[in-house]
Amino acid sequence: MKKIVISIIICSLAVTACTDQLYQDTITSKDLSTFPKSEIELEEYVNATYGGLQASGLYGLYMPALGEIPSDNTFDEVPANDDGMYGQLDEFSTTTSNTIVSGTWRDSYQAIQKTNVVLNRLPEITYKDENTKKARSGEMKFIRALLYFNLVRLYGPVPLALGETADPNTYFGQGRTPATEVYAQITKDLTEAIDELPVNAGNPGRVIKTAAQTLLAKVYLTQANTAAAKTLLEAVVASGKHTLMTKPGDVFRIDNENNAEIIFAVQFASGVNGNNEGSAMFQIFSPSGTQSGAKGHNLPTKGLYALYTASDLRKGTYIDVTPAGIPLSKKLTLPTTVITDGGSDIVVLRYADVLLMLAEIENGLHNPTVAAGYLDKIRTRAGLTGTTAVTEEELTDAIALERRLEFVGEGHRWFDLLRTGKAITVMNQWFKDNGKSITLDEHNLLLPIPQGQRDTDPTIEQNDGY
Amino acid sequence: MSMYTSITIALICAMSGVLLANEGHSQPLTSVYVSLDLKNSDLTKILSAIEKQTSFEFSYTDEIRSITQLSIHVRNKSLNSVLGDLERTANVSFRQFNKTIAVSKRAAQRSALPSRVNGKVTDSQTGEALPGVSVLLKGTATGTTTDTKGEFTLDVPDDGTLLFSFIGYGTQEISVNAQTSITVSLVANSSTLNEVVVIGYGELEKTRITGAVSQVKSKELNSYNGSSFAQQLSGRAAGVVINDASAQPGTNPQILIRGIGTLTAGRYPLIVVDGFPLSEGSSFNSVPPQDIETIDILKDPASAGIYGSRAANGVILITTKKGKSEKLQVTLDAYTGVQERADKMKYANAKEAALFFTEARDYGYVSKDPLRRSATDDRATRIANGASLRELRLNYLQPYLDGQPGLTDTNWSDEVFRKGTMQNYSLSFSGGSAKTNYFVSANYFNQEGIVINNSLRRYSGSIRLDSKLSKRIDFGLSLAPSVNIQNYFDNNGNSSNDPLAGLEIMYPFFSPYNADGTLAISQQIIANTPEDGALAENPVALMNKIRYIRSFYRTFGNSFVSYELLKGLKLKTLVGADLVSNLADFYNPSDVGQYRGAAPKPASAIEGRDLNINYLIENTLNYSLHHGEHSLDAVAGYTFQKEDAKNTSVTGSSIADNNLPNIGGASAFSVVANRYVWVQVSYLARAQYAYRNTYLFSATIRRDGSSRFGNNSKWGNFPSVTAGWIASNESFFPKSKALTFAKLRATWGQAGNNQIGSYSSKSQVVSGNYVYGNSPASGFGATTIGNPNLSWETKTSVDIGLNLEFLDRFALTADYYNSDTKDLLLNVPVPEQSGFSTSVQNIGKVRNKGLELELSANDIDLGAVKLSLSGNIATNKNEVLALAPGQKQILTGTESNFLTRVGGPVAQLYGYHVTGIFKTQEQINSTPHLPGTLPGDYIVEDITGEGQITQDDRKAFGTYNPKYTYGFSGNLSYKNFEFSFALYGIQGRTLYDRGMALQEESGEGFGVPSKYYFDHRYHPVDNPDGFLGQPNLGNFSNNRKAVRASNLFYKDADYLRIRNVQLAYNLPTKWLSGVNMTRVRIYATANNLFTFTKYRGFNPDGTPLDNGVANNGITNNNGLTNTTQINNVLTNGLTSTTYPVARSYVFGVTASF
Repeated sequence: MKKIVISIIICSLAVTACTDQLYQDTITSKDLSTFPKSEIELEEYVNATYGGLQASGLYGLYMPALGEIPSDNTFDEVPANDDGMYGQLDEFSTTTSNTIVSGTWRDSYQAIQKTNVVLNRLPEITYKDENTKKARSGEMKFIRALLYFNLVRLYGPVPLALGETADPNTYFGQGRTPATEVYAQITKDLTEAIDELPVNAGNPGRVIKTAAQTLLAKVYLTQANTAAAKTLLEAVVASGKHTLMTKPGDVFRIDNENNAEIIFAVQFASGVNGNNEGSAMFQIFSPSGTQSGAKGHNLPTKGLYALYTASDLRKGTYIDVTPAGIPLSKKLTLPTTVITDGGSDIVVLRYADVLLMLAEIENGLHNPTVAAGYLDKIRTRAGLTGTTAVTEEELTDAIALERRLEFVGEGHRWFDLLRTGKAITVMNQWFKDNGKSITLDEHNLLLPIPQGQRDTDPTIEQNDGY
Repeated sequence: MSMYTSITIALICAMSGVLLANEGHSQPLTSVYVSLDLKNSDLTKILSAIEKQTSFEFSYTDEIRSITQLSIHVRNKSLNSVLGDLERTANVSFRQFNKTIAVSKRAAQRSALPSRVNGKVTDSQTGEALPGVSVLLKGTATGTTTDTKGEFTLDVPDDGTLLFSFIGYGTQEISVNAQTSITVSLVANSSTLNEVVVIGYGELEKTRITGAVSQVKSKELNSYNGSSFAQQLSGRAAGVVINDASAQPGTNPQILIRGIGTLTAGRYPLIVVDGFPLSEGSSFNSVPPQDIETIDILKDPASAGIYGSRAANGVILITTKKGKSEKLQVTLDAYTGVQERADKMKYANAKEAALFFTEARDYGYVSKDPLRRSATDDRATRIANGASLRELRLNYLQPYLDGQPGLTDTNWSDEVFRKGTMQNYSLSFSGGSAKTNYFVSANYFNQEGIVINNSLRRYSGSIRLDSKLSKRIDFGLSLAPSVNIQNYFDNNGNSSNDPLAGLEIMYPFFSPYNADGTLAISQQIIANTPEDGALAENPVALMNKIRYIRSFYRTFGNSFVSYELLKGLKLKTLVGADLVSNLADFYNPSDVGQYRGAAPKPASAIEGRDLNINYLIENTLNYSLHHGEHSLDAVAGYTFQKEDAKNTSVTGSSIADNNLPNIGGASAFSVVANRYVWVQVSYLARAQYAYRNTYLFSATIRRDGSSRFGNNSKWGNFPSVTAGWIASNESFFPKSKALTFAKLRATWGQAGNNQIGSYSSKSQVVSGNYVYGNSPASGFGATTIGNPNLSWETKTSVDIGLNLEFLDRFALTADYYNSDTKDLLLNVPVPEQSGFSTSVQNIGKVRNKGLELELSANDIDLGAVKLSLSGNIATNKNEVLALAPGQKQILTGTESNFLTRVGGPVAQLYGYHVTGIFKTQEQINSTPHLPGTLPGDYIVEDITGEGQITQDDRKAFGTYNPKYTYGFSGNLSYKNFEFSFALYGIQGRTLYDRGMALQEESGEGFGVPSKYYFDHRYHPVDNPDGFLGQPNLGNFSNNRKAVRASNLFYKDADYLRIRNVQLAYNLPTKWLSGVNMTRVRIYATANNLFTFTKYRGFNPDGTPLDNGVANNGITNNNGLTNTTQINNVLTNGLTSTTYPVARSYVFGVTASF
């Protein structure tokens, strides 16, 4: 009988102890209900938000391709490879199930949600230094604005989400937000960011005031608000924070990253964190057969290569050809660890862009001489003589050409064509000249909405023509 | 001993009122109670009245009928004393033989003089001696039982007939015919109603089962030679579908009981080994099939409901062998065999492939600008015309096109596949004393895969001890350590490490070996680079160079003490544990290339380690009461189970040389650490009541608390009730020889499914670092979104069943069920602007209904030939009744072609309906077509009839989940020979063969075509009558990409498989007695001898494997962790180059002494 009593006692004791065990915390991951709660924890969330920009759907791989491969600057050497995900963009046969289309959408919103979490938690958390707290707010708003700016240019109207998600079901039926509202939010975020951001970065690679100014200027320029853009860009110039490198060869040198010309770059490093901070872009964007696993996606076209004159210092430093005569971008450096661990930062905004945007704006304001002055800063640096363009029309073309030559591989050309309204005419001519029976129409100017999103929520309507 | 001794002993026993009962197997007469009130009655009437109230039958001769004028009036008196009274009043004697009680006139003397007979009784199948068999002289009370060697001695008249009976075996009559030595082999009776079925926290006689339970025995299991019981279950039980989704040795098949009741939670049934519920998804390989005694499958929630929140997918109860008799019995089972591929996949040869690649590249080039380009353009012209690399002809193919003899033509399938050997050695010892039984086994299993350098080795042992410590205390212990070592590859479709994926793109123009016999490295990569053909590495080199060894160390055991508190009331405490420690060791050296990368490449090494501890504490109280017409069994209990798992995966890189082929040679590392804990606390209770052994009722309730669920919903209750009626026990039921047993059953019950990983209710924040400049910065961001209300899914089911037996030989079990699973644990795709792609929610409802029939015919006596047959057939229909509010469908898969829509079944294959091919541009212009259609592309049916092909023209084409499954098996014995076979079939299955859609039959001109595609491809000149799309590489159109999701690649994967055929010979006992052996059986088996199917691919069971996702849903890149899978029910039936099921020929011997 004694035994029974003992076992019953053990039993009943166990019951209470065991019931408590039904509440188990995560062990190797943190829990959003208890994290981030302090400055140090929120800083980790901020870091993860920057880390979100490294995703393959963003600056890890797809963004530079989306900004250039549809254009006459770059092409896909093996368009059918990888299920045609790059080839479709190159040849304007993009399907709704293209994985770049879905990856960029997904990774953008994942990073946006991280900015939303930080912005939502920030007011309740005490920082040792209020300026740091203010800077973080500005950094998050800049990143959110950058991502929405990309989204609205690529997909047109997109759903606008600005809060920390508590219940994802609340987004069903939200549909797409008109582009004007998206732009209004981008403008609001950047305007606030300019006020909050410091002039100098606390760490290399953090968002600074001039980055928000440059980005907002680009947003204004895209919306044809040249006056507002000009003011901001001139402020960037006046800040004295940035200069052009003296030689093109110094701009993308791996040991000279975050130099005075760089305004904002997504940071990558080779051989750090167990080879987890690099990008696969070098591998994927190298000509087939030249590197292990090279895919030849997003290579500069031979036509573009031919536009560099013999004396152009950018030839051999920005762009080169393989012994087989295939052009390639030299802005990315061969990784020293594993091929997928490229250490080159992906430059989003740099001073050369500021100068060329100013050139474009001044030319539009009928100040060709001022415009030529800005343009020649870039030409001179490239070892070229001053521009021979005189008329506004000539200058328009000269500036556009210079942007192609200067920004090859940086994902600008397609957005430039969209911004200037020349995408259809330029590309149709280009295909004609290259013997390809591809014709663009209006619908090709936007990507399709990812099929998966339409399958999930049919209120997200598809773009016309897809 | 005099010739009368036996009879005298029998008489003495009878007169003393002691009825000899056979040990153990049937209820003692003292615990059976009867009530009788009969006046001036015949003895036979009294006996039949007793028969009606009990499960006993009387056996008597006509002379008993003359005993009349008896009166008896008893109320709830034990049968023992009732019969004792009758012995005196009627001057008869009774003897119990299991369920039969023999009646004879007291002091009846036979006229004929008896003579001494010696004999031996063995099991017809195993040849093992059967101790304790009743041997009865027909029509008398004369009898004996066999001793531990299965031998008996009895004095019987020469013209007498001996009746041999034993629990679990068919009764046999043997005419003595003046023989002095008789050898009898009894045939095991697979459907004897008096068998005991394990039902979870107890067992129950088969007659009293009211739920849907199927039982499979060791003998049936082991007629298939495989590494785990799961493969052996195939076709053995209605409603239990076994899919050998990848037949790589050591890989777990998928087990599905009564269809798919979930969408994104796990679909694993709960597996309980000797009372210990394993963590879902844990490997089956640790239980050697030779150690299994029976498998009982609880199919309906009412039966399974005792396991509560883990039982919705059904419960499989495994009972391992234990010692049976006192005598030491040693059994050795050894077999060896050879396996070979049994699929129908056939690739084009070199000459065919050369033509195909050239056609594809030519047409790709020309179709981009047909007016200016021509297939006869040479390389320079093509380049000048802006051709891309894939529009150039492969530079080395001209000799093949010219038909030059003596060129390389490698059949890569022959290089990658091989004939593999398989062997198994099992040695077991069992025995015991009156109070203690033991079973000890040691097992070695070695299976080479049918793919080169791929194998499984297993060393395992088990110890089981059952002891009666005192009159009231029972003690049991079992321990089963095992080591599984797998020479493994990820059958993941990545041609850089999966040789089967490599087959798709490895061209026949290259050899696996150099002329000097060394492995050829990167030859195809180098040769194909100029025109960007498939840059594939030699799969033979990959398998030889890459080392991937997975070791699984596991010790599994439990022990219990049970104490009888009061008569019929037992308290049992069980403590069990499952300790798992795994190591995955992967090394990919620099001197072999990878897809698109020639060697040398940077070497890499991965080491993954798991340490899992799962333990269980269980206290149960059992009560059993048998009083008169009432019989009650009740159990109540409390259980606590916890699993604590730790996993680390280290990836090493920057490996300078191949000198240290493991992470030790690396200089840079990345580590993924993953740990989880889950806890389940449960209360359970069940009562089973039988009235007059005719009306059966039971009720069960389980209350489960689980750490996996949200803080707002920790606890759930799972009730069930069942009822049964054994109509054949009713007095009004016509006693006929034809229909000997009839039972009707009905159950209602609820069970849950909690397979969502340990932390799905939480928003998990995981590492996402950044680097400022080159300084790393620790980052953490949320990757999943939590749900504090998350709870189990609940399956509510009704089951109606019927059991019939005819002529004591033919049995029929029929069940109809309807199960509704609600609050599905659905990984709902959510709008991505939320920041998340999916969220786990309790949403939606799925219905499964079906009909199951099991038929058996046992011991059909065809003279010298004895025959047993059994068959089963099951249907299952599932239907999604609801998804998330407002959500009508989930469309998933890379090609968006798996449709789960309200009103339809789960995971329908969805896409276009291809009706033919376009041969001219004019035809395209005049017919609705997909955007981007070229001549040689497919005509797609305009389902909406609106004159253009849009996404609305897609429709559903069937599912992987078969409409019905069936099994048929038989056993035929003739003298010492036995022949057995088993068939298994699946009907109404459709597979999406993505390998064919993307490579073999796409016509893209990148991978190697199948022979079928090559023979039927359309080419205006080379093959104008072809009906499959024209080869086109450089300009592979959107039409062709869109039809990847079409009927073209939705393959009919019905099959009928001859699962096993076995011929066995039992050596005659007289040969063995000299060497002191009890049984030697020699057998030859063919497994998967033939599969009748239209499916041309690798494996008609192919579907995504569950490996690679750890218990908290985080993908573990080394694929080591074998726990809960998430999110693949919705892509059920997606197959690519899936490891095929092998055919094997095995020769073996079983010896006992």
